[in-house]
Amino acid sequence: MALVEYSLDIVGLSKSFRRKTLARAGYSTIKSALLGGLSSAAKWVSGKSSRETSPHVLTHAIDDLTIRVPRGSSLGIIGRNGSGKSTLLKLITGIYKADRGTVQVNGRIAALIELGAGFHPDFTGRENLMLGGVLHGLSKKQLEARFSDIVEFAELEEVIDDPVRTYSSGMFMRLGFSLAIHTEPDILIIDEVLAVGDAAFTAKCKDRIAQIRREGRTLLLVSHDLDAVERWCDEVVWLNKGKVADRGNPRRVIDHYREHIEKGEEQELLRSDRVAEEERGSMDLVAVGGGPHTNGESRGCSEENTQSARWGSREVEIESAVLLSGGAEEHRVFHPSDGLRVRAQYRVNDASAIDTSRVAFGIAITRSDGVLVFGTNTTLDEVVVPLAPKRGAVEFRVARLDLLDGSYRLDIAVHRDDGYPYDYQQGALHFAVRSAGGQVGMYLPKREWLWENVVGEPAGSPKLDEKHSEQRGGTL
Amino acid sequence: MNLISAASQLYKYRVLLWALVVRHLSIRYRGSALGFLWTFLNPLCLMLVYVLVFRYYIRFNEVEHYTVFLFCGLLPWLWVTSALLEGTASIASGGHLITKSMFPPQILPAVAVVTGMINYVLSLPLLFIFIVANDLPIPWTVVFLPLIVVGQALLMFGLSLVLGSLNVLFRDVQHIVGNALTFLFFLCPILYPAHVVPERFQPLLHLNPFSVLTLFYHQVLLEGVVPNLLSVMMFGLTTAICLVAGGMVFQQYRESFAELL
Repeated sequence: MALVEYSLDIVGLSKSFRRKTLARAGYSTIKSALLGGLSSAAKWVSGKSSRETSPHVLTHAIDDLTIRVPRGSSLGIIGRNGSGKSTLLKLITGIYKADRGTVQVNGRIAALIELGAGFHPDFTGRENLMLGGVLHGLSKKQLEARFSDIVEFAELEEVIDDPVRTYSSGMFMRLGFSLAIHTEPDILIIDEVLAVGDAAFTAKCKDRIAQIRREGRTLLLVSHDLDAVERWCDEVVWLNKGKVADRGNPRRVIDHYREHIEKGEEQELLRSDRVAEEERGSMDLVAVGGGPHTNGESRGCSEENTQSARWGSREVEIESAVLLSGGAEEHRVFHPSDGLRVRAQYRVNDASAIDTSRVAFGIAITRSDGVLVFGTNTTLDEVVVPLAPKRGAVEFRVARLDLLDGSYRLDIAVHRDDGYPYDYQQGALHFAVRSAGGQVGMYLPKREWLWENVVGEPAGSPKLDEKHSEQRGGTL
Repeated sequence: MNLISAASQLYKYRVLLWALVVRHLSIRYRGSALGFLWTFLNPLCLMLVYVLVFRYYIRFNEVEHYTVFLFCGLLPWLWVTSALLEGTASIASGGHLITKSMFPPQILPAVAVVTGMINYVLSLPLLFIFIVANDLPIPWTVVFLPLIVVGQALLMFGLSLVLGSLNVLFRDVQHIVGNALTFLFFLCPILYPAHVVPERFQPLLHLNPFSVLTLFYHQVLLEGVVPNLLSVMMFGLTTAICLVAGGMVFQQYRESFAELL
């Protein structure tokens, strides 16, 4: 009979915080306690039924959580900010006390919960290592024996005798990580701290984490770096509002989580576009209407806030625009391989004032940091515009977006071929691209790798078709 | 049981405790030109003021070697002040040690107490110099001094555990302690000898562990008198009560420290 041994055995764990406590930085004064006591006593004496004085609103940071982590396995914990990840770690490490449920820890924990936590800023790196080592349960002898290894791994030989308050955040992390792994813990807990390391050190950390896994130690990884979680973890738990939203196979859970995030993002973008549209509308009254409309109601500041603006003389006007992908549904979050369709309804307000042969439609995509991704118009593309006499629609299509992760802004315009604007809508639509591959940059071209044997004989060159390129880890 | 485990944790982390004490001492005078000399200069300055006021302005003549007498009581009092003030604030100002790492909080008040103790022990040579300079003998009862020092350390630790824990809940505690210490200073026979206290106020002198402590110091360092057993037992009992109370209050709240800070 195989006995499964758990490094962590969490059963029915719950933890709530009082909102009041959170809001008031936690401490009260005797005065408030006394006054509170007096007033309730007075009410009791006077016989008035006192209304419950501010019933503490409870936030369930962790809600009836049961997780078992077998020895030697590695568990990833993912979830949005405020989903209870850090609270869970603090409960596991005993920094917080559970309201209900139990946490059984079998083995010694080394936890990197926060950058530089547990380090005393005025102490030198050497002193902090000594103190930290003791806190991690090492004897002085053991610590002295490992000291040079720790410093060497952290690459801090030159500054080890400086106070750690002079350290950069990367140095902090290196010191903490190096110490944690050299204490040979049974359970290593890492909370998002590796993000501050430079590429070389991160690589070194990853090697060491792989080694720790080989040695059969248990790893608990909390991270927003979903690729790292997928690579290192046997199981992933997705926390949402203190509850397990999903758990199991890393690939499946992470995909599920991404999907959920995208949905949320999509709603958010749709909402902000709607708000921006309203604001553009109200600005419009000021610009064009004049007279009675130029009162204090207008909101001129919206341009800076939303990066949305609208201008033009409106002989031709874009009434509405939607972003689509494959179907007829509005779309806000795309994958790099998705197609993009922009569908705009236009109206000709004053046909007599324009030369229909000179009307051009344009489109531009800008990344959120202001980098213009591309822009074009019907004149540049040498497209003849068959302008409808009254109202019409135009659809702009890109077969594959081929863009990488980021938030993008889409401008749409109708103007005269010399640039004179009829209706220019900056930031008319916003969308985001989410890729799963981890490639970096802005542009993800359709691509392939070709190989040849030294003798010159062509080897197999599997094309990276759309499906393949979507697979994480499929490319190097 | 929990009290014992908390105490054993303290023993387990003695290296940490010691390192923090050493650090505390060296940080205290960092960046000052006179550095460690301030350990001696602080009590000396204080003593000079008291001698000036009481000996020369008020012409207080009840004690023969007033300077030595004053110094003998003042030194342990400085320890009381620093231990209780720092001990009370220690947990609340522990910051990320408490909220973000697995740090045993009881170490912090202990650091305050031990730091004060080291300061006291280091300033003892100065007291002996004063005694010798005044042509007084160093009595044999000085062998009891270590016991009294340990007794005071335990009393201070018990108190700072209670006060330090409560201070996390109510920050008023540290202000109350500051004021209470001023009261206590004048209630202890530091500036005046015990015999000037009127008969009906004598109980105040003997029920207050701080003044009993001052009497002990006077007895073993100046008078060459062995403290009487009854007051030693009373003091021991008070200390034990403080320690147990400290442990209980601390255990009661220790797990909520991280949330409250």
